[in-house]
Amino acid sequence: MRRTLPSLSVALLSTVLLAACGGGGGEDTANLTPQQGGTLVYATGDDEPACLDPQTRGNVPQALLGSQFLESLFYQDEKGEIQPWLASAWKVSEDGKAWTVDVRQDVKFSDGTPLNAEAVKVNIDRVLNPDTQSTTGRLALSKVDKVEVTGEYTAVIHLLQPDGALLESLSQVWLPIESPTALKRSNEENCLSPVGTGPFKIESWTKQDNVTLARNDSYSTPPPGASHTGPAYLDKIVWRFVPDGTTRFAALQSGQVNVVDVLEPQNAVAAKNIPTLGTLIASRPGEPVEIKLNTGRAPFDDAKVREAFFSAVDVAGALKSVYLGTVEQAKSPLSSATRYRADTVKQAYDPDAANQLLDEAGWTAKDADGIRSKDGKALTVVLPYAATIPLEPGFYEQVQATAKKVGFDVKLQPLETAKWWVANNDWEYDALPIYYTKNSADVLRITSLSSANTATTVGGYHSGNTALKSPELDALLEKAGESTDDTERADLYKQAQELLSNGYYVLPVYDQQTRLGYETKVKGLRLLPSLSMPTFYDAWIND
Amino acid sequence: MGRIVARVLGAVFVLWAVVTLAFFGAYAIPGDPAEAVVGGAGSRSTPEQLAQISAQYGFDRPLWVQYLDTLGDLLHGDLGTSYSLKTPVATLIGQTVGGTLVLAAASLAVAWAVAIIVALGSTRDSRLGTALGSLLEVTSVAVPHFWLGSVLILLFSVGLGWLPPISTPGPSGLVLPVLSLALPLAGFLGQVMRESFIAALDAPFTLSARARGETETRVRLVHALRHAALPAISLSGWAFGSLISGAVVVETLFSRPGLGRTLLAGVLAGDIPVIVGVVLVIAAVYVLVTFATEAADRIADPRLKAAARPTEAAAW
Repeated sequence: MRRTLPSLSVALLSTVLLAACGGGGGEDTANLTPQQGGTLVYATGDDEPACLDPQTRGNVPQALLGSQFLESLFYQDEKGEIQPWLASAWKVSEDGKAWTVDVRQDVKFSDGTPLNAEAVKVNIDRVLNPDTQSTTGRLALSKVDKVEVTGEYTAVIHLLQPDGALLESLSQVWLPIESPTALKRSNEENCLSPVGTGPFKIESWTKQDNVTLARNDSYSTPPPGASHTGPAYLDKIVWRFVPDGTTRFAALQSGQVNVVDVLEPQNAVAAKNIPTLGTLIASRPGEPVEIKLNTGRAPFDDAKVREAFFSAVDVAGALKSVYLGTVEQAKSPLSSATRYRADTVKQAYDPDAANQLLDEAGWTAKDADGIRSKDGKALTVVLPYAATIPLEPGFYEQVQATAKKVGFDVKLQPLETAKWWVANNDWEYDALPIYYTKNSADVLRITSLSSANTATTVGGYHSGNTALKSPELDALLEKAGESTDDTERADLYKQAQELLSNGYYVLPVYDQQTRLGYETKVKGLRLLPSLSMPTFYDAWIND
Repeated sequence: MGRIVARVLGAVFVLWAVVTLAFFGAYAIPGDPAEAVVGGAGSRSTPEQLAQISAQYGFDRPLWVQYLDTLGDLLHGDLGTSYSLKTPVATLIGQTVGGTLVLAAASLAVAWAVAIIVALGSTRDSRLGTALGSLLEVTSVAVPHFWLGSVLILLFSVGLGWLPPISTPGPSGLVLPVLSLALPLAGFLGQVMRESFIAALDAPFTLSARARGETETRVRLVHALRHAALPAISLSGWAFGSLISGAVVVETLFSRPGLGRTLLAGVLAGDIPVIVGVVLVIAAVYVLVTFATEAADRIADPRLKAAARPTEAAAW
């Protein structure tokens, strides 16, 4: 949606105007005393959630907003390690199938309901209940059997099979602990004003305009890494929905808003030259924005052709020209913010190598345009894309142009989101741009198991996109998913990433990012490391 | 009396046709409506979830049954409930229709004012003036709302800091969206008006008015303008419709709540009740405005009162 109204001329015009403003950058490093009060206005370019409760569905817009008023049992730090948050202690049974979790005894939800083990059970049961319509959260808890309350503040999570990623899953904002009192309401009502333990609470939601959050004065659960205790500094946050990137950045420049997200590349460059503005750009964990190759049909059923495609496209060059040096090429099937990530992908633009590989693979005939063919079939690559995937049309065009030089005919198909999903579900593609946000290497199990390719639904959704069926990879991922041993997991995931990279199944492009622009008078802005979502708990405005 | 009945029947037919087109058009968008219920970009559903939703919402029934169902609900005044927002469509429309009507009405008023000033002011004996006026009109017609809006934001929000780029509830928040919609329309109305204005200035009644010694201003404002405005008034019904469709772009750009954004969100989410409901309301507004412009035509042109023209009955 945010890219449905592109206007190159305006983008260029704004860049020129901004460049003309000039000025030097420079971060404020002074040690200032935080000021109490004030209202922060945040303009998001992500979609307006249809439901504010991330237990229902489970997408990035919900996670962005939910991080302000909801909290999880666990906190995942910058190193990917698990720390206590609403949980105070935990231990796993010998067989890895029972996790005993103690929750803090002094915590109240913002509606006054006390936190206890029963609340944990109510929340997990609710996510698993199909009526809740949880997607991301439910997939993450697919190994959970049931929750047993064994004491006022102690719950045991029983699993169907060991799950090394359980605590990581439970540190995502898609699996928050919400007030059981509030959850007694209908799903529709809960969607309007979910209640958590976070530093803010929902005050009102004016559709298509804003969600207003007010400080939770009884707040007592700052996450590890926070720089103060007690309630937040800000009185209120006005969370505005501003789909157009030019408008968002204009609003930031003119002081109408204090912080924007989905900061567009040219605006990120422009912000560097405006002393009153700063940028905060960070990778999100999971699978990066990547192009998955469909091995289920020609031409990518041939490993040589896949390898040739890797060498035929100038990913680095396209990124540089489209993103103006604001993003780096990804080198792994896992984003750089994901624990156990290994740099296993070696991709470099090498047309000579690509030509040689295609010759070897038998794609030797060429037509007048230089497009190769074999047995009368042209070397065509169907690539459907949609605005949902954060890649600019200019990027695809450059992929198309460089691949053409060695004889690939890349057919770009710009589609609406719904149509793109159909192409995806029906395997009507050779190369598919996609990403998956999850704070665990276990994301590979969701996207790359053999079974991920065969799932059929009413709409035909399958979480796998390469059609790869490798018993070897399945074994690695299942074993890694069940392991709770750090060294073993690291090793198994490294092998899995190597297997994926050596087979040329997935071409990583760049890490999916949180891209914030902010007025430098906003201090204490921080990202929660689990999913790189911003938190305004420590934030204050230096007037 | 018979004329009015024919009009009302015609209006009902139009609304039915619009609902039918919107319904089947919405279903022609590929995708599973069940995905719209859980869906949205970034949400991923399991097979059981989708099957359960299909059964719950009746998506597994034949399309014509679902169509008749929708039609029956509409006849009872029930616009249904949004798949993605789980809110009654009537509530959604109620929350946003005001903003769009204010935007469209203000834009129409401003477009008229600008068109009259430019057309009247520049249609002089001076060729240069006329040429300049025409040039302005042609240029503004050719400018897309989105581009014009972006330029206005860069100029008045970033450059001069006078007006907010994100539309606010007060009058200052309305200025840029209204200008983005009104200026292209003003150019269009101005072009239409200028032609008949020139014809009116050459007409015998103008000559006799001048012969009576009336001032040039009075000749222009009282006699010629009335004639010049006629085609533009007739076109205002159409113009209002075009303003509402332009609102989709302008409301998105200025992040202003409204019917256009509701419709866009509905289309993107594959939310069929929202698409059908909003399209129906827009069609109803359009029908009402057409009635109103016809009435205005009659007031501005007394000749129409004398001779009712039955051929016009199905004109829209």
